[in-house]
Amino acid sequence: MKRHSIAPRPGWQDFASSVGFEFHTIDNEQYWDESAYYQFSLQQIEQDLEAPTEELHQMALDLVPDILADEQLLKQLAIPERFWDFIATSWRSGEPHLYGRMDFSYQGTGPAKLLELNYDTPTSLFETGFFQWVWLEDQLMQGQLPQGSDQFNSVQDKLEQAFAQLPLAQPFYFSSVTESIEDKGTVDYLMDIALQAGLDCRYIQLEQLGDMDGQLVDLDGYPVNGLFKLYPWEFMLQEDFASTILTSKTQWLEPSWKLLLSNKGILPLLWKKYQGHPNLLPAFFADNREIEPGWVKKPLFSREGANIELVTASGQRIKEDGPYTDNGYIRQALAPLPKFGDSYTLIGSWVVGDSAAGICIREDNSLITKDSSRFLPHIILG
Amino acid sequence: MKLPPSKRSHKAALIFMLPAAGLVLNGCAEKEVTAQVFSTPDECAAFYNPPAQCQAAFAEAEQLHPKVAPRYANKQECEADFGAGQCETAPEQHQQGSFFMPMMMGFMAGQMLNRGGLAAGSGQVTSQQTTGSTGRNTVPTQPLYKSRDDRNTFRTATNTAVASQPGTTNIRPSAVQPKPAALARRGGFGAQAAQRSANRSYGG
Repeated sequence: MKRHSIAPRPGWQDFASSVGFEFHTIDNEQYWDESAYYQFSLQQIEQDLEAPTEELHQMALDLVPDILADEQLLKQLAIPERFWDFIATSWRSGEPHLYGRMDFSYQGTGPAKLLELNYDTPTSLFETGFFQWVWLEDQLMQGQLPQGSDQFNSVQDKLEQAFAQLPLAQPFYFSSVTESIEDKGTVDYLMDIALQAGLDCRYIQLEQLGDMDGQLVDLDGYPVNGLFKLYPWEFMLQEDFASTILTSKTQWLEPSWKLLLSNKGILPLLWKKYQGHPNLLPAFFADNREIEPGWVKKPLFSREGANIELVTASGQRIKEDGPYTDNGYIRQALAPLPKFGDSYTLIGSWVVGDSAAGICIREDNSLITKDSSRFLPHIILG
Repeated sequence: MKLPPSKRSHKAALIFMLPAAGLVLNGCAEKEVTAQVFSTPDECAAFYNPPAQCQAAFAEAEQLHPKVAPRYANKQECEADFGAGQCETAPEQHQQGSFFMPMMMGFMAGQMLNRGGLAAGSGQVTSQQTTGSTGRNTVPTQPLYKSRDDRNTFRTATNTAVASQPGTTNIRPSAVQPKPAALARRGGFGAQAAQRSANRSYGG
């Protein structure tokens, strides 16, 4: 695993805008950064990232029935009691899931350490599946990358297969929060792939969804029988339409049982069941007390690095503020992100269906990766 | 020749995110057809239409009105869109009282009146009309409304502007297919996003 500088493609910003990737630069800060790339060996990809991703995914799935059978655990994960049966039914009836992303601390040697699962509303999908792929093809064509360079990135192929094979309601609706162009970008990309797979797709703003006699409906009053929502389950369960969720005949993507796995509480549960697994970090449920050096504190529900606090082994405290202070916390042993140049580097590893499907790389100037962290492409060579 | 095994997608094409995608999705252009728009049956008759057919078209639209008029949970919300004194109670009740709907301000006669196309109208919302997915090559006879801030324009129950004066108008039939009035509550999702607006994205 190495970091190489490379000249950005001339005019890539215009190309990005032309395919709807408007958020390549955010508040004058670069988000998509192709001034460098990471190189992995095939062995690093297959043994250290791909195989552990699939193994950890199965381990996480195996925990779902354990959690559903244990009221204590459901409470510990802050799952509202009135939804326990709903979530259990969603799992037992085998409601299909589409995708997720695990984040790893990995520096090219030794086991990749699982930092968390983003199993409900993962983003940076378009950047991974499409934009990074086009970057590789362009740079190969221009002779800027060694011939034979490959990429661990079958995200789009696997998503298209999934949309073609999953038993999904038609028409299938896609929804995101109106104000977020980044989320709309992710949803547009998924709809584009679904369309290519032959699905009848419709977009509806999340706030426009209606409730008619307990059934979710679109703007014309037609029932929404299938809905992809880029919006956290733990939010939906607290909002006005929470009771609609219980009565509406709607197939959800992600299904509600994914709420158990996107919860940071899954990390102590994984550690408890598979203690000592090389890809797991020691993790425990925590209270709000100060943490010791060498530990990280994370809220059960949080996104984009918000409300994360860590103390390095040498005692340096780093804290990210945010809006997720209303539930419990976990603590996890710190596996500091490796430093390449001035940047701390995190690897996101995608799961589509039950297969590992590729990686994305984020760089930040701090040990905590955030929504503003730069996205860099990668290659496989050697 | 066999390609070497690859860890990346074989293709990564986009279709509808591309700027030209509109061409792909819109399909063939739809032809406009002629319809007539009037405030009252008398006005219709004054345009040299047979009075009996004007009356029949008006009656058909009037019968459709309570089935398709847009619904509001209270009178204030309705009047905000349609103007003071321009709303009436709808047939349905909700937990806090009646739904409200705008008053009918005119009607659109779908067939050319003086060619006798109206006689078959039943005044029912037929299944063909309510599904909205078939039978889109004709303009169904239907009620029209006027919004508070634009008292000239006749609009359908689904807020498609169809004419700004009485008489003949040209319409794409798919834009004016009546649908059952939506009695939906909206805005039940998204409150947490609004509260936690520090985030740029609600994914992660």
